[in-house]
Amino acid sequence: MNTTMEHAISVHAASRGNGPAAFVRRLLKNRYVLYVVSIVGLLAIWHFSAVSGTYSKYMPTPGMVLNELWRIAHENLAGQNLLGHLWSSLHRVLIGFAIGSVVGVPLGLFMALNRYVNNLVKPVFDLIKPMPPISWISLAILWFGIGEESKVFIIAIGAFVPALINSYNGIRLVDPALYDAIRMLGANRWQTMVEVTFPAGFPALFAGLQIALSVAWSCVLAAELVSARSGMGFLIILGMTMSNPSMILSGMVVIAITAYLITVVLSKVEKWVCPWKVELTQ
Amino acid sequence: MTHVTIKIECRNVAKIFKQRGGKVQIPVLDSISLSVVENEFLAIVGPGQCGKSTLLRIIGGLETPTTGNVLLDSKEVTGPGPDRAMVFQKYTLFPWKTVMGNVEMGLKLGGMAKKKRREIAGHYINLVGLQGFEKAFPHQLSGGMKQRVGIARAYANDPKVLLLDEPFGQLDAQTRYLMEQETARIWSAEKKTVVFVTNNIEEAVYLADRIVTLEGKLPGRMKSSYVVDLPRPREHIDKKFLKLRHIITQETELLL
Amino acid sequence: MESETKLKDPLSLKITPWVSFIGFFVVWQLLIDTEIVPGILLASPVEVGKLFIDKLTNPDPDGAVLMTHTMISLLEAVLGYVLSLVIGIPLGLLMGWFVVAEGLARPPFEMIRPIPPVAWIPLAIFWFGIGLTGKVFIIWACGVVPCVINAYTGVRMTNPTLIQMARTYGASDWQIFRWICVPSALPMVFGGLQIALALAWTTLVAAELIAANEGLGYLITMGRRLLRPDMIVLGMVMVGLTGWVIGNIIDRIERRLTAGLERGGAAT
Repeated sequence: MNTTMEHAISVHAASRGNGPAAFVRRLLKNRYVLYVVSIVGLLAIWHFSAVSGTYSKYMPTPGMVLNELWRIAHENLAGQNLLGHLWSSLHRVLIGFAIGSVVGVPLGLFMALNRYVNNLVKPVFDLIKPMPPISWISLAILWFGIGEESKVFIIAIGAFVPALINSYNGIRLVDPALYDAIRMLGANRWQTMVEVTFPAGFPALFAGLQIALSVAWSCVLAAELVSARSGMGFLIILGMTMSNPSMILSGMVVIAITAYLITVVLSKVEKWVCPWKVELTQ
Repeated sequence: MTHVTIKIECRNVAKIFKQRGGKVQIPVLDSISLSVVENEFLAIVGPGQCGKSTLLRIIGGLETPTTGNVLLDSKEVTGPGPDRAMVFQKYTLFPWKTVMGNVEMGLKLGGMAKKKRREIAGHYINLVGLQGFEKAFPHQLSGGMKQRVGIARAYANDPKVLLLDEPFGQLDAQTRYLMEQETARIWSAEKKTVVFVTNNIEEAVYLADRIVTLEGKLPGRMKSSYVVDLPRPREHIDKKFLKLRHIITQETELLL
Repeated sequence: MESETKLKDPLSLKITPWVSFIGFFVVWQLLIDTEIVPGILLASPVEVGKLFIDKLTNPDPDGAVLMTHTMISLLEAVLGYVLSLVIGIPLGLLMGWFVVAEGLARPPFEMIRPIPPVAWIPLAIFWFGIGLTGKVFIIWACGVVPCVINAYTGVRMTNPTLIQMARTYGASDWQIFRWICVPSALPMVFGGLQIALALAWTTLVAAELIAANEGLGYLITMGRRLLRPDMIVLGMVMVGLTGWVIGNIIDRIERRLTAGLERGGAAT
C-alpha cells in the first residue's frame, strides 16, 4: 500500500523537464537529501545559537554535550560512572518488571478463564488503574524509605497493569473457531487450554510484556527523579541541580538510546518467538 | 446384494437459535431427516443462510439440536469428538504449528507416540500433495494449500465420517476447480463417509454420490434428493452432468 | 449469532463484583482500625473522606483548597495538551503528504521520539523554572509525539485509489491533501488524542511531584513531608478521578465527531 502511495505522490512531483533548475528542484524534493539538510541545519542552528551569547548559559553546543558524555562515561559522579548509573536503573527495571509481570500475567489469565475471578478482581483493578504508577511514590517512600524498594514498587505497579490487561485480552479474544477445531479433534478441557488457549493468546501476552517493559523504563526514571542516589534519573536531576545542561542532555541521550534499544531488541525477540503473529489493527 | 450400513442418521432434527436471553427466537432448521450410507459422499446444497452449516455442525456435535437427534453408527451424538472430523471454510489451522504439527494434532491429543503419529501424519500430507511442506507454517501457505492441510488433518485422525463445511468458499475459481479434483482423488484413494456442504451446484454434482437440497429460506427444510449416477472421474461438460446440474439449478431458482 | 441460550448469570456471579468493591473498602478500613497497618503509613477510607470534605474549603496545611490544586494541575495539563495538538496534528498531517515537510521535520522528530516523557522534566525545570511555563513545555514535548505519529500514519493510510481518482480530476497536491488525506486521517488522529491525554496527565503528575508549589502532585509530596498519609491518598485519588473524567469527556467528543464522519463518509 505504501508503494502505491509513493507512486501516487511522485507522479505529480515537479520532476518534469531537464536542465540544472529542474535537477535542483528534484534534488530538493528527494526525501533523503532533505533528511541530511535537516540534520545538518539543526546541528548548525543549535551550535550557533548556543554560542551566540544570550542563551549560552542554558544551551550547550553539540560539541559540549559530546564532551560531557565522554566525561561522565569515565568519571565517577556520586560513586559511579555513566555505565554504573545505567546499570542501577536497568537493575531496578528488571526486578520491578519481573515482579509486575509474574503477578499480572497469571492474574490476567485467570480473570479471562474464570468469571468469578474476573468479577472479583476487576472492580478493584478498575479502581487502581486510573492512578498513574508514579503517584504512588509518596506512599512508597513512606513505606519503604528512599532505598531500592520504593522504586521497585513503583516499577512493579507500572508493569503490572499492561501485563494484566494484555494477557486478559489475549485469552478473551482467541478466535472461537480454533476451539471448534480442537474439540473436533477430540481434545478435553485441559488439552484445549494447553493446545489452543495459551498459544493463541501468547502473541497478545508478549505484546503486553513489551508495553510493560517500556512503562517500567519510564517509571524507574520518574522514581529516580523524585528521590534517588543513583541511576539515570538521578543523573539528569544532578545535572539540573548543578546547573550543568550538558550533563542533562547527555543523560537524556543515553536514556533515549536505552529506550530505543529495549524496543528494538524486544521486537526481534518477538519475531523469533511468535513468527506467525498476525498484525492486529487497532 | 451388499448389505448397506447406515452411518449417519438425522431424525427430525430442528434447531432454534435464541438470543437476548430467550426473547428472540430464530428457527434455523425444521424437521430434517436424512441418512447417510457408509462411504457415501453426500452433498448438502443450498443458497446462503439456509441452515446447512448449522446442520453440519449439529452432525459434528458442535451444536445440539433443539429437537430430534443424530445417530452415528446407531449411537447418539452428544458432543464433538474425534470420530467425526471437520474441515472448515476458513481453514482454522493452528497458526503456531507447522503443517506437520497441525496434521498430527488429533493423534497427539489421542496420546499416540511421536514416531507413529509422524508416520501417519506424513502419509496424509503426501496424500494431499503437500510433501516437502511439513515444516512450513500456515501463514506461508496459499489458500489451497491451507485447505489441503485441513483435509489432511481431518483424515489423519481416522474419523468415521468427514464433514466439510463449504471448504472451498474462500478460494478463487481456478483453485476451487483444482481442489475439487484433488478432493475426488483423495476420497477415491481412501474412502470415507463424507457430508459436504456447499452452495455451488456444479461442485456438488462433480463430487457427490447423492445430493440433498435445502430450501432457500429459514428455517431450512429438506427439499429434494438426487442420486448422481455418473462414473468417476467426472467431466464438467459431460451431457448427463450438465443435465443434472440444470435440473437442480432450476429447482433452486424456483425457491429463491 | 449466539448459538446457545446464554445461561443467565447465577446470582452469586452477579453479586461478586459488589462484594469485591465493598469488601475492598471494608478491609482497607479495618486494616487501619485494628492497627494491623499503622496509621502513620496509610490513611483509612474514612480519614480520606473527611479530608476531602475538609479540603473543599480549608487551604491548610498545604496552602490551597482542593479545587485550586485540581484546577492548577488541570490547567497546566490542558494547556500543554492543547498546544501539542495544535502543533503536532498539523505537523503530522503535513509530514504524511508533503515530502518536503517529512524530509525536514522527520530527523528532529525521530530524535525527540525515543525520549521517555519524564526525562524532559529536569531540562524543563532548568530552562523555565518551577512554574507554569516549565510544566506546559513538558506536557507539550511528550504530547507532540503521539499526535504527530498518529496524524502521520493516518495520512499514510489514505486509500491510494481515492488519490488517483482525484488526480484524474486534475486536483493539485494541496487540494488532495485538504479534501482527501486530512478527513480520512481523522479516526487515527482521534486515537492519538486519547494516548496523548493519558501521557500528558501522568507526566504532569510526575513533574509536580518533583518540583512544584501547587497542584495535585504537590499535594501528594506535601503529604509525605508532613507525614500525612491522608493527604497522599487524597491526592492519588483525585489524580485518578480527574484523569478518568477527562478521558471520558474526550471519549464522548470523539464518538460524536467520528460518528458523524462515518455516516457521511470521508470526502469521496
